[in-house]
Amino acid sequence: MATRVEQLPYGIGRFSTRLYLLLAVLLVLVGWGIFAYSREFVEGLAMTGLRNIGTMGGATWGLYVSFVIYFVGVSFAGITMAALIRLFRLDHLRPLSRMAEALTVIALVLAAFTILLDLGQPLRGVINLFRYARPQSPFFGTFTLVISGYLFASLIYLYLDGRRDAALLARQPGPLRGFYRLWAAGYRDTPAERTRHERVSFWLAIAIVPLLVTAHSTLGFVFGIQSGRPGWFSTLQAPGFVVMAGVSGIGLLLVIAAVMRVVLAEREQLHEGIFRWLGTLLLLLILAYLYFMVVEVLTTTYAGHHHEVRISLSLLTGQFAWLFWGAVAALVLAVIVLLLPYLPPGLRARVPATRPRWALVFGAAALVPASLVALQGLNLLTVLSAGARSLLAWLAVALALLCFLLLLPHLSRNVVAAAATAGILVNVAAIGKRLLIVVPSQTHGTLLPYGDGTYTPTWVEVSIVIGLFALGTLLYTLFFKVFPIMEVHAAEEGAQ
Amino acid sequence: MARYAMVIDLDRCTGCRACMQACKVENNTPMANFWMYVFRFEEGEYPNTHVWFMPRPCMHCDNAPCAKVCPVGARYKRVDGLVATDWDRCIGCRYCEVACPYGVNYFNWKKPSKNYYLDWQDEDVVQVTGGAVPPYRNPDLDAPYGEEHRRTAGGGRLKGVIEKCTFCVHRVERGLKPACVENCPLFALHFGDLDDPNSTVAQLLRRKPSFRLLEELGTEPRVYYIGGHPPSTESRQIEEVKARV
Amino acid sequence: MRATLAILMVIVGFALQAVSYFFLAAPWGIPSSPVYSNPRVPFAPALFILGVMLVFLAAVVYELLPDRQAQ
Ligand code: SF4
Ligand code: SF4
Repeated sequence: MATRVEQLPYGIGRFSTRLYLLLAVLLVLVGWGIFAYSREFVEGLAMTGLRNIGTMGGATWGLYVSFVIYFVGVSFAGITMAALIRLFRLDHLRPLSRMAEALTVIALVLAAFTILLDLGQPLRGVINLFRYARPQSPFFGTFTLVISGYLFASLIYLYLDGRRDAALLARQPGPLRGFYRLWAAGYRDTPAERTRHERVSFWLAIAIVPLLVTAHSTLGFVFGIQSGRPGWFSTLQAPGFVVMAGVSGIGLLLVIAAVMRVVLAEREQLHEGIFRWLGTLLLLLILAYLYFMVVEVLTTTYAGHHHEVRISLSLLTGQFAWLFWGAVAALVLAVIVLLLPYLPPGLRARVPATRPRWALVFGAAALVPASLVALQGLNLLTVLSAGARSLLAWLAVALALLCFLLLLPHLSRNVVAAAATAGILVNVAAIGKRLLIVVPSQTHGTLLPYGDGTYTPTWVEVSIVIGLFALGTLLYTLFFKVFPIMEVHAAEEGAQ
Repeated sequence: MARYAMVIDLDRCTGCRACMQACKVENNTPMANFWMYVFRFEEGEYPNTHVWFMPRPCMHCDNAPCAKVCPVGARYKRVDGLVATDWDRCIGCRYCEVACPYGVNYFNWKKPSKNYYLDWQDEDVVQVTGGAVPPYRNPDLDAPYGEEHRRTAGGGRLKGVIEKCTFCVHRVERGLKPACVENCPLFALHFGDLDDPNSTVAQLLRRKPSFRLLEELGTEPRVYYIGGHPPSTESRQIEEVKARV
Repeated sequence: MRATLAILMVIVGFALQAVSYFFLAAPWGIPSSPVYSNPRVPFAPALFILGVMLVFLAAVVYELLPDRQAQ
């Protein structure tokens, strides 16, 4: 009985061997990323694949800037979900709100890191931005509103929203009691405090929505108002940004929720209804995004200036075709997966049962040729001939498709798995699309006839990005080992 | 205040690239950075082909997109029209580079000392120069220039900052012309004050029709071209420079 | 008292943002002189961020301020 009482909810403070293993792996990845960055810091950005636009025939913004947009996009969706849940009283989604808030905070921290990684003089950047930043530069908004203001606002949201839980947890003895007391800051869960918190979080949610729109627009403006770069100067840039942000953020939230459901065995709280609801929202957003994309591609190829056409062609048939069509394929597959729950029951009953294990085997097998091709793309392993390389690439595609087909029957019975798969797919697509916004306009968008350029990220960039993801996962895991992932339930309260 | 401008006579340019060379010597630019670059174009189908050459410095735009977007004001417009880069303030975000439609910005991907044509710390070099500052290192570049006293001439650059053509601010402030202009053997490049009706540039622009590159973008370049025509989709580069660091 | 303080913080925060954005930071307009590259008051962008933070800190103040009546 005594141990039962002392146990905190949602696996807080319980570190299993598997968790330690995960943390160790993540730490190694983060360490590797830090090592890669130390190379870049000492040797300069020459360690990356970035080069000058123009006579050097390169792209001066690449992987880093793409991931800044990606991380910021993910964060927008996180806090939007939390605010929407509050504003529209979507109580059945309530368990997701803390996950979404934490996702926002961590994604913004990663975005800030990524911006610093991209600067040639990061230490100077930290000082000079506070000292000299000019409102006329679109970076002003990115820096003041997105990184500083947004991060601060979502931290406050997370803090205030967690006070009640902290107060509840502080009632039990434990090593973290002092921390919970500090967080709760005198909260006693009186009715007066509850109504006050309701009021504050309502107003915060209202205040965050306009901040969201302004902040996001400034990010779109970083690209959208550059008349000298074909492919960027477009009014569709901002709405496209918003929709894609929603797609990637909700996708990631679905993945996290699915993982938490399995790890914490919280099947009642994270019930299937949540996944169905969010999955449908994701489906609609993907469709909207696909519509935007078709419109944009049509206008630029049909009526565009020849510079615009050049970029469109490089996407549709040229150097970036694999990435473009890969991203489109991922989005379409996600749509298919998300449509599965809407199969008529009669049809679903007739879907043969397959074990997901075989699909996973094929999926893992697909990774081998894919990573071989990737290594060659990074110029780390260049023993393969071009023919062997394309053969391997197609082999990877075929294996991945096989894996997907084998997985389909399983997904049609399992809403959660389907939603998580779609989440992964749309995030892959989102990263691809972010790269396609940033890079082709530089390598193929010079207005003077410099000729086409190329950009291939190096191992440094790739390692750093992987390190960033590891860091994000690490922070997320640690946070939820010290703080409840969902609101502490009244029932559990009573039991304890 | 003067209103400096450059006039480039495309009918005179023979593509000898003496200006590129002069710029390299004058400004000690690192490898693969061409503040001044000369396009060598070919147009038409055999046998009706035509070869022509187009020098491309920084345009020192009056409505400079690069100066607008610089987050910290390291890239700025001087009153006399020169677009300057403050090496002591640039944080290396490279936003000016993506904003510039002309592709004239060069980033210091490496430590410049590792990227010069001659390694000044190299033993052989030290033996020859006896440790003294070698003559090809221009000491004028290190001083601050303009009323605002900022180091914008090319000295003090370090890894991770951006650079581009300065119109040789250290020469212009001493009443000299930029190195490329002085060194052109065919007098294809001219530099001067538009406000002075007797200056060569003012006279040339009065006498001959001129154009500026990508005028439709509204960047208002300060570099005028006379003779010839702007490059089009028909213009193919004979040899593309893809010098990388 | 609680509400007044919070509202005051929001107002001051927004005012600080507006003032630092339009009057203290580097001026708007086509850059034609070095004036456009320097903030009129050093660290004006930091003031802007301070303004943003004040607005959101108001929420914390509103919630955390101890209740005098309750004691
Ligand atoms: S040519 Fe480019 S770098 Fe030079 S002033 Fe114009 S926009 Fe700026
Ligand atoms: S690279 Fe330097 S000069 Fe260019 S926009 Fe960034 S801070 Fe300004």
